[in-house]
Amino acid sequence: MKVLLSWIREFVDVPESAEAIGKLLSVRGLALEGLEPHGDDVVMDFDVTANRPDCLSMIGIAREIATAYGRPLRSEGAGFSHRQGSATAKAVALRTSPEGISVTIEAPELCGRYVGAVAEVTVGPSPQWLQERLTACGIRSISNVVDITNYVLLELGQPMHAFDLAKLGGGALVVRQAKPGESITTLDGKIRSLTPGMLVIADASQAQAIGGVMGGADSEVSAGTTRIVFEAAYFKPSSVRATSKALGLKTDASTRFERGMDVTAPARAMARACQLLEQIGAGKASGTIQDVYPDPQPAASLVLERTRVPGLLGMDVPDAEVERILTSLGFTVAPHEGGPYGDDAVGDGWLVTAPSWRVDIKRQVDLIEEVGRHHGFEHLPSTFPGVQQAPAASDPRIVRDRRVRTALLGMGYSEAITFAFIAAAAAEPFLSGDAPVALANPLSEKFAVMRPSLLPGLIDAVSHNRRHGRREVQLFEIGTRFSPRGETRGAGFAWTGLATADHWSGARREVDFFDLKGVVEQLAAVGLVTLTFGEADVPYLVKGRSATITAHGETIGVFGLLDAGVGERRDLPAGDEVYVGEINLDALTAAAPADTLRATPLPRYPWVVRDISILVEDALSAETVRGTIRSAAPVTLRDVHEFDRYQGTGIPDGKVSLSFRLTFQSPERTLTDDEVQAGMQHIIDALTRDLQAIQR
Amino acid sequence: MTIDTSIGPDKARELFRAELVEVRTAAELQALRTRWVGRKGSWVAAFMEALATATPEQKKALGRGANELKKEVEAAIEEREAALAATRRPAHAVDITLPGRRPALGHRHPLSLVRDEVGAIFTRLGYQVLEGPEIEDDYHNFEALNMPEAHPARDMQDTLYLAEPIMPPGNPKGLPPLASQVPGAIAARLAPQPLTLLRTHTSAMQIRHMEQNAPPVRLVAIGPVYRKDNLDLTHTPMFHQVEGLVVGKGVTLADLKGTLAAMAEALFGSGTGVRFRPSFFPYTEPSAEVDIQCIKCKGSGCAMCKRTGWIEILGSGMVHPAVFEAVGYDPNEVTGFAFGMGVERVALLKWGVEDIRLFYENDLRFLEQFGR
Repeated sequence: MKVLLSWIREFVDVPESAEAIGKLLSVRGLALEGLEPHGDDVVMDFDVTANRPDCLSMIGIAREIATAYGRPLRSEGAGFSHRQGSATAKAVALRTSPEGISVTIEAPELCGRYVGAVAEVTVGPSPQWLQERLTACGIRSISNVVDITNYVLLELGQPMHAFDLAKLGGGALVVRQAKPGESITTLDGKIRSLTPGMLVIADASQAQAIGGVMGGADSEVSAGTTRIVFEAAYFKPSSVRATSKALGLKTDASTRFERGMDVTAPARAMARACQLLEQIGAGKASGTIQDVYPDPQPAASLVLERTRVPGLLGMDVPDAEVERILTSLGFTVAPHEGGPYGDDAVGDGWLVTAPSWRVDIKRQVDLIEEVGRHHGFEHLPSTFPGVQQAPAASDPRIVRDRRVRTALLGMGYSEAITFAFIAAAAAEPFLSGDAPVALANPLSEKFAVMRPSLLPGLIDAVSHNRRHGRREVQLFEIGTRFSPRGETRGAGFAWTGLATADHWSGARREVDFFDLKGVVEQLAAVGLVTLTFGEADVPYLVKGRSATITAHGETIGVFGLLDAGVGERRDLPAGDEVYVGEINLDALTAAAPADTLRATPLPRYPWVVRDISILVEDALSAETVRGTIRSAAPVTLRDVHEFDRYQGTGIPDGKVSLSFRLTFQSPERTLTDDEVQAGMQHIIDALTRDLQAIQR
Repeated sequence: MTIDTSIGPDKARELFRAELVEVRTAAELQALRTRWVGRKGSWVAAFMEALATATPEQKKALGRGANELKKEVEAAIEEREAALAATRRPAHAVDITLPGRRPALGHRHPLSLVRDEVGAIFTRLGYQVLEGPEIEDDYHNFEALNMPEAHPARDMQDTLYLAEPIMPPGNPKGLPPLASQVPGAIAARLAPQPLTLLRTHTSAMQIRHMEQNAPPVRLVAIGPVYRKDNLDLTHTPMFHQVEGLVVGKGVTLADLKGTLAAMAEALFGSGTGVRFRPSFFPYTEPSAEVDIQCIKCKGSGCAMCKRTGWIEILGSGMVHPAVFEAVGYDPNEVTGFAFGMGVERVALLKWGVEDIRLFYENDLRFLEQFGR
């Protein structure tokens, strides 16, 4: 809200500078957004919060300033003097005229009050001072009649409208809902289709204005206009809001009405407009003022309990200060003894009646806020809330995610955070049969659907880094994935480039399948979960170089080499090999054993290690060979793992040499050479018999 | 220079000294040794030969001179040899200035660092840290937070809606325990509702928590939120929020001030002042926007704080009685404070990042600036 300092000073004596006023008001609830010199005047731009439509006016801002400085606010009449024009306001005599216009409210649920007045006018430019004031506050000067409506809007906050009476058919204004199929050409020249529920101001035949939003072009005041009808009304906020939204039409008037106007203001505004009309010589009101106010609203009273003020704020405010602040803001305040009040019992305090313009005051806390902010939040002490019971534990997901994050960082992955909405095409390969979770009103096509997987975002991040000259990219993200069944938390990871850091001492190796598999195995170790792996068949990974991750029979993730086509569609450089993987952390947590871990004592007897090398068909999986070893081994076998795999010189085609290291140990005694040897022989026999293995 | 004994031992000594100064390596020193004290063809050997043919008068002086030359040369070479040996790396030693073989270690994302730091601060202050769903229903995101149907924050330009609502899985615990104390119309709404929107603030978590738990409450909820904002220097359509909520008997606005002042000092350094400016949020009354003292100019006024000395950092206030009523708390029994702070905003201020979009590009050149 732009206000002019000189205009404000018509209502309150503030010799202080605009800067000083702005600084004080900023800590009293009206943030100063801008300050601009305007000739020898100053335009101050205040950010008015949505609950304070009364401050969208000079008088409203002046009232706040008066309260902040503890100065009296001059009655509105005192503001009627100007540099040019009469020094004092005078009552406007309104003669009854047979040519007056009748006003009927047919939709009282949408329009609580309608004040209309007929005036004889000579349309022309406004005086310079009036034009300047409007311009300074960001409103274009149009003509004396229209300028008066805008002047009253700025000064009192009450939106007004002027109709050209000659263009209204039937000498009557009807406030009603729009008829089906009705339309109107608004002042901006656009044809608007109206629907029932929208409020219009109509003459005998058609809509002439959209109530509280914009006037119609047909009855617009023009150079030849000689008689007008001024309108000042109260329209229901939700109705104006719905209409403005449906039409995509926001105006100074609609902004105010939708937040709630003062139902008593239309009469004052009309008097002010008629007075201005005469003052600037633009014309004269010529009939009775029609004031249709079918259901006058009584002022609401509230009890403010004395103890509630420090009880909520945590600071004491003296009684006299409470009364001063509320009175200065226009409230009426009377002492109130504690006791039954309505259905409640209340404590000692005050009976407070809110002024009609304070549509935001509904509860006691609203009054306490008024007291608190004008007493000054700077007087609040710094204290801490007492603890009444031991705080509950944090969300276990936070602890789990932290462990997974720490593990991935330790494995060289840097943490990425990507947008949860992605392009539909980017999501497509990752949907696995589900419909995408699409947005109804996405910001753009780039952000059209919620990610079904963390991988599209990570692939884009890898692609960004590759296109900016990074050869090695290793990223992970822990975040939410979305499907029609809801949300799950996952960890995604992506790696391209060298698996071994580029170092003067050694060989370089590109990242491969087993680098990713190792990461998954370590994540399983973080969660103490046993995983199994199977061949994956998903559209975004290369078959034969990808695997599913399974825990307790449920597939909880997948990893492998990214399909080149998927990568290229996300602008990855051609030829890049990117390995990616993703694991469902919620499922990983669910698969983890309950916390029943018990430490086992350290073994008291030594272990025995034996190596074995065999030649088998190369199509045989390592798991099969391991399985054969395990099933043939004595119970003392503790561990078996591959330590070499060789094909090439000396090995026949189609065969592979595998070397295993076996560890035997008994918790009860020291194993003898003979029994280990017997066990090894049993294993070798099984390998020979079942897998046609040849010992090397 | 050829060996010429006619210059005499004294001049030869000067010559030796000049040559010694030029010696840099062990090989050069060896050559010098051969040239001056070698068994054959060296300066010392030449003087010895000359001694044989010298006259008796010359002999004494020449003999002494040659001996002195030999002694000096041998001593000087030995000394230099030791000096050179001291600079040589022993066979078992390595060049410790070569770069190390670094075990892999990834970098933390700055938003994740702030999220953890804020979580740690409030854990220290005795809060539980929570997370909540990112897809919400209208009731939890708006209505229960005193934002009735016609509130401006519910406009299409602010909120991102799902094309197809998602029906949440049935609440395994049944209706929230407090539902029985809630007036009928609201209790009906506590039954699972279709999820229709991306939460616009973490405040939705306040409601979910209070529905399930009786007071007192002391929590922070951290996570992503979504608004229909175009990408620019200061806006992204997804960002992260920290929500704080404390409810109990006698909780005051002054308690909020103390708490936020403690947080500001922990995040931005001791002595960082806070300022409360009255504001408006539908779910708090009174409401306050909170500024911290400009971290760049310490309050004296600079370009960063637009010469005000203060920088806005969060919105806060005392929980609105209507919010308590929606979750079945009695606003005559308990009061509470709540605040919501942007994680990105903290990170921008803390590290002087000038473009918020950098947080979502995941450019390693950016991420690598934030330690591990």
